Amino acid sequence: MSTADKVKINKLPTGVPGLDEILGGGIPEFSFNIIAGAPGSGKTTLAHQIVFANATPERPALYFTILGEPAIKMLRYQQQYTFFDQAKLNNAVRFINLSQVVLEKDLDAVLEEITKEVEKASPGVVVVDSFRTVVRKALGGTTEVELQSFIQRLALLLTSWQATTFLVGEYVEGEIRDNPVFTVSDGLLWLYQASERSSIVRKLQIVKLRGQASVPGLHTFRITHAGLQAFSRTLGLAGLVRKMPSTRRLSIGIPELDKMLGGGIPEGDSVLVAGASGTGKSVLATQFIAEGIRQGDPGIVVVFEERPQEYAERASSFGLDLKTPRNEKKLEILYLRPLDLSVDETMHEILDAVQKIGAKRLVIDSLAGFEMALAPGFRADFRESLYRMITALTGVGVTILSTVEVNESFTEFPFSTYSISFLTDDIVRLRYVCIDGQLRKIMVVIKMRGGNHSKDIREYEITSKGVVIIGERLTDYQGLITGIPERLNRSGNNEERSHKAKAKSKS
Amino acid sequence: MSLPESRHLAQRLLNYEAVAGTNSEPTESAAFRVCERLRQPLTTLAGVAGFRSLLSRALTLARAEAPSLSAVQVAADGSLKGLDELASQTDKGQARDGGAILIAQLLGLLLTFIGDGLTLRLVQDVWPEAAFDGRVFEKERKA
Repeated sequence: MSTADKVKINKLPTGVPGLDEILGGGIPEFSFNIIAGAPGSGKTTLAHQIVFANATPERPALYFTILGEPAIKMLRYQQQYTFFDQAKLNNAVRFINLSQVVLEKDLDAVLEEITKEVEKASPGVVVVDSFRTVVRKALGGTTEVELQSFIQRLALLLTSWQATTFLVGEYVEGEIRDNPVFTVSDGLLWLYQASERSSIVRKLQIVKLRGQASVPGLHTFRITHAGLQAFSRTLGLAGLVRKMPSTRRLSIGIPELDKMLGGGIPEGDSVLVAGASGTGKSVLATQFIAEGIRQGDPGIVVVFEERPQEYAERASSFGLDLKTPRNEKKLEILYLRPLDLSVDETMHEILDAVQKIGAKRLVIDSLAGFEMALAPGFRADFRESLYRMITALTGVGVTILSTVEVNESFTEFPFSTYSISFLTDDIVRLRYVCIDGQLRKIMVVIKMRGGNHSKDIREYEITSKGVVIIGERLTDYQGLITGIPERLNRSGNNEERSHKAKAKSKS
Repeated sequence: MSLPESRHLAQRLLNYEAVAGTNSEPTESAAFRVCERLRQPLTTLAGVAGFRSLLSRALTLARAEAPSLSAVQVAADGSLKGLDELASQTDKGQARDGGAILIAQLLGLLLTFIGDGLTLRLVQDVWPEAAFDGRVFEKERKA
C-alpha cells in the first residue's frame, strides 16, 4: 500500500511540553487510552491538561468523575494550574458526576448514561476518572466476560462518536496481563513516582501506542504550577539533522595550545580539559568561549560552582569581556544548582539556551559540579544522558568543552575520575609538577580524534592574560607526568639527546 | 456570617427569581427556586451526594444566623423540604431573610471551594438571561 492510500491519523496535542515528542507527535485522534499510575502520580493533572489543550465549544471535552476525587475539590485544585482556563468550564469542558449511577446501578446503566451525554454533546475528548472504580464496582456482581463486553462497547461507542478517550485509573503493573481494559486500549501511558533518598523522581512510560512510534523507555517529568512537563530521553534532539563534518578548526584563544592541537579544535568536537583544582581548567574554558565570541560564535557557559555575575567578573580580571556579549545575547551563562532536577531536565535547560542563541560553542564547567547538582537518583543516568546530549549537539556542529577535576596522583596519570573518555574526541590534561622546589604546571594533549597533535609536554602559567604557555617542551626532565620529574644529566648522551629533541621541536 | 459578596449575589438571584416568578409569590419561593436551579448543574458536577453535602453544610451555617430554618431539611435527592412551611409559621420578612441567608451560605461555600471565577460562571450558566459579571463581587469589595 502506498503512503497516499493509507489513512492519515491526526495527532492531538497533549498540552504537556515534551510529551508530544515522546508520543511520536501527539495522541492519535479517536484512540482509546489509559492513563495509569499510583495515587499522586499526576494522572488527573495530565488528563486535565489534555482536556484543556483540545476542548472547544464545538467539540467539547466531557470529564466523567466517578467515586474518585470529589469534583468540587478537583476544580478547587486544578484551577491553580496555569493551563486551567475558567472560560472553558461548562462550555468547552464539562464535568459530569457518574458516582450515583455506578453505585446504584449496573454497567449497562453506566454505559447508557455515558451514551446519553456523548450523543448530546458530541465531544472531541472524553475522560473517565477513575475508570478503575467502575471496574471494581462491576466486579462485585459481573462476570469477566460481561466486563470485557462493557469495555468493548464503551470503546466502540466513543470511537464511533469520534471521541479520543482517556480512562484514568490507579493500576499496578501486574494487572496489565489480566485486565481486559489493557487489551482493548490503543494507548497506555504509565506514570511513576518513586523516592530516591531525599528526592522524588517522576517518570512516565508509553507502554503501548497503536499506530505510531513513540520514544521507548522511561522519561522523567515534573509537575509545576504549569502542570506536567516531560523530558524525552532523546532530549528533543531526535529530529535534528546531522551536519556534514566540518574541516574548520576553532581557536581556543591560546595560540601555542592551538598549535599543540594541530591547528585548533575541530568544529563539532567534544573536548575534555582534565586537571586538579587550581590548574586553570576554568580559565582555559573561559578563553575558549571568549575567543569564540570574538570570532562571531555565540556561546553558552554552564557553571555549577559560581554565579554568572561572579564568572563574568572573574573573566574580566583576565581581560576577557563577557558582560558585553551577555548583554548582546551572544553569550549565556547558565548557573544550574537544581539539586533535585533530573539529568534530562537539566540537559533540556542547556539545549534550550543553545537553541535560543544559536550557540556554536558550549562550555560545561564542570562535569563533577553537574553531577553533584543532580538528585541522587538521577546520577546513575548521568553519563548516559550526557552522552546523548554531547552526541546530538556535536552532531549539529556545536563544539563542547567540558572540564573535569581529577585527583592529583603521583603514581598514576588519570584523565578523569569518570569513564567518560568515550564522550570526548579530544583530551587536554593539565597537572602540577614539582620542579626545582616549585609547584609548576604542565599541559599535554592526550588525544585528538580528528588527527595528529603535538606530543609535547609544555609548561604554562596563569597570568593576568589567562593561561599562557611558556617555553618550549620540557626536555630536561624525565618522568614529568608522575608529577615528580627527575632532572636529566645534561652531560654525554643525555645532552646529545636533548639537543636532538630541541632541534626536532624547532623544525 | 457569610461573605458579603455571596450575600450580594444571593440577593440578586432572589430578586431575579422573584421578578421572574409571579409577582404575588413570596420570596421564600424564590429561595426555593434559586436552590432548585442550582441543584441541577451542581448535581451534574458533584453528584447528588456531593450537592446534598454542600446544601446540608450551607443549611447548618444558615441556621446559626436564622434559627427559623431549623424546620428546613435537605431531602435525599438534594431538594429542600420545609421552606414553604417556614413562611406559614413565621412572618414573611423572617422567612425571606432565612431563605436569603441559606442561598448566601451555599454560594459562600462555592466561593470558598472553587473561587469567584468558577462560581460566577456556574451562576451565569444557570441564569444566562441575567447579566452577571465580575463586578458583582468587585462592587461589594469596594463597599
